[in-house]
Amino acid sequence: MSRLVSLLRSPRLVLAVIAFLAVWTGVGAWAPWMQPEGPPPPPWAVAVGLAHPFTSWPFLVVVALLFASTLACTWGRRARTLAIRRGELPPSATRLPPRAADLRAFLASEGFRGEGEVLTRFGPALWGGWVLHVGLLVLIAAVLVQHALSDSGTFDLSEGERASLAAHGTVFGREKGPLAPDALPDLDVALVRFDPFRKQHGYSSDRLSELEVSGRGVAARTETIDRAAGIRAGDVEIFQAIPSGMALTLDVPGMGMRTVRLQPEGPRRAAAEVTSPSGEPMRLVVDSESDLGGPAGPGKLLVWMESRGTRRALMPGSPFPFGVGEARVLGMGRWGRFTYTRTPGLWGVFAGFAMILAGCTLLAFPAGVARLGRPGETAAAVVFTIRGGSALAAEWERAGPPA
Amino acid sequence: MQSILFWSAVTLYALATVAWFAWAAFGRKWGAGAGTALLALGLLPHAGSLAMRWIEVGHGPYNTRYEVISADTFILVAVWLVASMVARGLRGLGVFVAPSAFLLMGWAVSTFELKREVPIIFKSWWLVMHIGFAKLFFASILLAACCAAAWLIKERKPSALASLPSREKLDLYAHQFMIVSFLFLGVMIAAGALWAHQSWGRYWGWDPIETSALVTWIVFGIVLHFRVLHRWSGRRMAWLTFVALGFAVVTIFVVAILVPTIHNSYMVGS
Repeated sequence: MSRLVSLLRSPRLVLAVIAFLAVWTGVGAWAPWMQPEGPPPPPWAVAVGLAHPFTSWPFLVVVALLFASTLACTWGRRARTLAIRRGELPPSATRLPPRAADLRAFLASEGFRGEGEVLTRFGPALWGGWVLHVGLLVLIAAVLVQHALSDSGTFDLSEGERASLAAHGTVFGREKGPLAPDALPDLDVALVRFDPFRKQHGYSSDRLSELEVSGRGVAARTETIDRAAGIRAGDVEIFQAIPSGMALTLDVPGMGMRTVRLQPEGPRRAAAEVTSPSGEPMRLVVDSESDLGGPAGPGKLLVWMESRGTRRALMPGSPFPFGVGEARVLGMGRWGRFTYTRTPGLWGVFAGFAMILAGCTLLAFPAGVARLGRPGETAAAVVFTIRGGSALAAEWERAGPPA
Repeated sequence: MQSILFWSAVTLYALATVAWFAWAAFGRKWGAGAGTALLALGLLPHAGSLAMRWIEVGHGPYNTRYEVISADTFILVAVWLVASMVARGLRGLGVFVAPSAFLLMGWAVSTFELKREVPIIFKSWWLVMHIGFAKLFFASILLAACCAAAWLIKERKPSALASLPSREKLDLYAHQFMIVSFLFLGVMIAAGALWAHQSWGRYWGWDPIETSALVTWIVFGIVLHFRVLHRWSGRRMAWLTFVALGFAVVTIFVVAILVPTIHNSYMVGS
């Protein structure tokens, strides 16, 4: 057991683990097949796990090794730090030989304070390394837990449309961890208003939505959402995503009001493939006078229906054949895309971050402990410093001639 | 007016470079005092030009290459001045800081005329933290590298840069700056993660700069472990400090210029 702990604490293993993570992370993120619309990964990359670098077994094994190594390095560190604070200094501590100079005055000028045999400099900062390492353990554990519990997905809404996230077909692109609930969030959302080109003072035009949310345990309310920040409804957060487009609202016989979201096919054209109630494939097309995505607005719009090689112009309110009956175009608007996330355990990730930063902050202080020489010792003092031991020894050498 | 203030700062940094050169190359003692004073004086018009641009475009100095590099330079000079007030021995680093400031301003001016609105996702306090600490990170790792450079010069010629502290002290200062830059980089990454979560609901997305910053942080961790575990110091650590600076430069500048990333806007130059 002790051999295993010694191995995990060995500087070579620690450095090898960190270096592997640096190289793997760099290669994994920069590989051509990891870029959007990049080529497929070559066979060798698939074989070594670089096709999915951050979920592959080599990465996860080394992260586990990092966790074990950090745990081994942290184990016993608290006791060692307490011992150092008591003046029980490690063999690596700097020994100051006797010199014809006032040692206490010299140590005081170097920031060491205390009355007795043991003097300290930035005493609490001696805990910096321990806090940093515990923070790293918390972060790794919390990231794993958070990933296991996380749940996110995407949904589109047209202006005036109401939808239940739990209903079949509303959410797509769902990604969830193995421990996340299977059920979708029990939340109803309605897009009250959507402006894809809203100008806010000091910022370029961007999407702005007014969303009504309600659900179990969530009182119905309407909130404004933009891409700067999401809104929270119970344990769910909703965010504005970038994609948006034109939407047609149809009155379909036997089905009521239906919204068709069109996808851009060019700067001035958007279209959607639909199937009529009788199963006939059709295309709804919108052509615009100006750019559909332009902040000045699309100008005059023409709506077409394409079916069996024929094209027919659709006028608002006028009926047109749609399967077994006749449908009508009720109106035209915009649709916007949204994402939802459920991230229990995220506080643990940020607690890990906070502990790491607190440890780093403490490490920024040049902490140290000096113990005055005891009878029978050749050194006038033994000094442990987080860093700068040789600089301190050199300063002491300049303080006076050997005694 | 903004242009006049900017060029005044550039001129003062250029004069400071000359003064520090006179100190380093010809041993003119007045050079250090004059160089420090000129650099400090240069901060005034520099702050004025940054403030005027801020008012003009309605956002802080974090969009377009001019705004970013100019603000980075300001922070570099300011951090060096504050550090040299805390530790007098660091004043001599002005010999590196002055030409760095002058060259960085020369790079910044190439996109002086470019002004862009920022996207709505910039409406966040985490952004201020993220960018503020990125600038502090760059300044502190550059100063660590300056200490390492001074160490190497003094090793080759001990009488050079006489008013800089001993090599042991320079090694300590380089270590100190590196620890601080490790902290600042950590805060930058954490604030960026919090910002990403606020805007997108995820704290990490393996964006090229995100990943590069993480790799840089890990590399800094390796270098610091060499210090602590293997007790490396002196020449080897001086060169490792340059390696760390290289990673920092790649993360902050090179990736943003060359690689498609969500961070491209801050180094946009054309």
